[in-house]
Amino acid sequence: MKTIDEINQKIKNGDAVVVTASEMTEIVAENGPEEAAREVDVVTTGTFGAMCSSGAFLNFGHSDPPIKMARTYINGVELYSGLAAVDAYIGAAQPNKDPEIGLDYGGAHVIEDLIKGEEVELVAEAYGTDCYPLKHVETLITLDKLNQAIMVNPRNCYQNYAVAVNSTDETLYTYMGTLLPNYGNVTYSSAGELSPLINDPHFQTIGFGTRVFLCGTEGYIVGEGTQHSTEVERKHGVPTTSAGTLMLKGDMKKMNPEFLRAATMPNYGPTLYVGVGIPIPILDEDIAASTGISDEEITCKIVDYGVPRRERPVVKETNYKELKSGKIEIEGVEVPTSPLSSLKKARIIAEELKKLIEKSEFLLTSPIYRLPSRGYTLRPLEIRKPSILVRELESKPVIVTRPDENIKDVARKLVENNINHIPVVDEKGVLQGIVTSWDIADAVAKGKTSLRDVMTRRVIIAREDEPVEVVARRIDKYDISGLPIVDSNNKVKGIITAEDISRLVGKKMGRGGESI
Amino acid sequence: MKAWLRFLPSIIGKAIISEAIKRYDIEFNILRAHITPRGGKMLVEISGPEEKESIKFIEEQGIEVNPIIRVVKKDKDKCIDCGACISLCPVKAIKVEEDWTVEIDDQICIGCGFCAKSCPTKSIILFE
Repeated sequence: MKTIDEINQKIKNGDAVVVTASEMTEIVAENGPEEAAREVDVVTTGTFGAMCSSGAFLNFGHSDPPIKMARTYINGVELYSGLAAVDAYIGAAQPNKDPEIGLDYGGAHVIEDLIKGEEVELVAEAYGTDCYPLKHVETLITLDKLNQAIMVNPRNCYQNYAVAVNSTDETLYTYMGTLLPNYGNVTYSSAGELSPLINDPHFQTIGFGTRVFLCGTEGYIVGEGTQHSTEVERKHGVPTTSAGTLMLKGDMKKMNPEFLRAATMPNYGPTLYVGVGIPIPILDEDIAASTGISDEEITCKIVDYGVPRRERPVVKETNYKELKSGKIEIEGVEVPTSPLSSLKKARIIAEELKKLIEKSEFLLTSPIYRLPSRGYTLRPLEIRKPSILVRELESKPVIVTRPDENIKDVARKLVENNINHIPVVDEKGVLQGIVTSWDIADAVAKGKTSLRDVMTRRVIIAREDEPVEVVARRIDKYDISGLPIVDSNNKVKGIITAEDISRLVGKKMGRGGESI
Repeated sequence: MKAWLRFLPSIIGKAIISEAIKRYDIEFNILRAHITPRGGKMLVEISGPEEKESIKFIEEQGIEVNPIIRVVKKDKDKCIDCGACISLCPVKAIKVEEDWTVEIDDQICIGCGFCAKSCPTKSIILFE
């Protein structure tokens, strides 16, 4: 048994034994936890991952005449200004207000530019008060001109996380990166055995007030993060899914751009890569054993992001040794993997923190309280007005056609029924393709007579059990006007159009109006 | 060698490449192609003992041949070695080193650009 004070004394004397979490894995494997606990004083961890729930409080100082900023923008990115006159919070995931720039330069990019010492443009608008008469400010600022720039990240360092795959036949753009169709690739985000909270799975040492390495300077844990949960499945003591989280705080003015980076997940949004290293004091054999965990012992679940619902189906279980090998087998096929978080930087951070402690430049703290290790479960957001499912839509009897039907007859059907889409089905009613009035006009113009030559075979469909919102997103994404509704046997049950959805939204709003 | 072949509209109707393959027994691999009635371009890899002769022939027939030295480059300052690109590469041109540094093998790359489009820090440069 050691105490943090004893370890700190050793650090001050320059004779503390500090190893990274990867080195500790080998030490524990070779010598066992008892011997490792005697030998090692501190284990350093590291991660460098995309952490969207990050941001910073900025205080701009008062102008003359003064302004109470109600809306604030830096380089076109809106900050949250519902605070006192010149305080604002910049969130990493905020997109640019300029649609041309959109996701390419967001809150994370502002944070990175400030830390790099770049000059940024501040625009503030106000409604004007007796004490704050100014209504508009436009100026250039740099980090060193701000009174404070305090990074406060409400959720960082997820303890383990889901691994992503995509079962659908379309490419998906997600916060887990680009996911290729038909299980084409796998992405994972945890640093595995180097990851901070995996090395102290029951929070025996980590808590409020723990000093950490944050983006190149010292930061502090200011409690559990949002969505912190503890009641999860565990293997080898470690959660097999996302569980514990941290709220972190640090001084942006002291940060090093080397350990923080703005990024954009394509077609998803801006995010901030945050570099975090947490030192774990090896107080006893138990903690030594926890920090000795290996990639192979950390189980995680491959989850299908093709299902855009809260509960996504689990495809299979795996571990970080397998994921880090670069390929993994899914349904008999070898699938390449991508880490998403920088494992290179994670190692550098663990090494950097090790060096700082060895040089007596970083002392450990005793937390004021340890992070909660039980009693936390995630509550879902229940929508009081439940989603309407496709099957509940009032749709007219569907008009269909067969692939061998004459173009003229199809044209007549379109006109007589006043519709723009006709699903093409076989004798059993199974979907074969779709034809729009435009396709028919095109066919006539080019002198084509067979429906087979003009129909679209790769049809975007709606399933009966899907919420209408999911279908609306699909209509938007593919820029189409309607899509057939099919059952589990691909039999056509109806058709849903953009108009049907607008009508539904209109009705919903009407209903809301009545209830007020 | 890898090269961009540029076609003028005037020669679109001629079967120049198949003739070159027959005459010089070259291996001709099309990596990317964009050809319309108004001309076009094609990124190809040509190899074989009579590679040089075949290229001369192709040029004589009116196709502009621009050999390329590089297809792709990683911006080392911007790249954070996150590895998002690795699993997206259709030809396994992206690999990680022992220390998890991401490296793109220019020789294997076919310049499809999928990695560049998906890079969170826009660190992959494609040469046109």
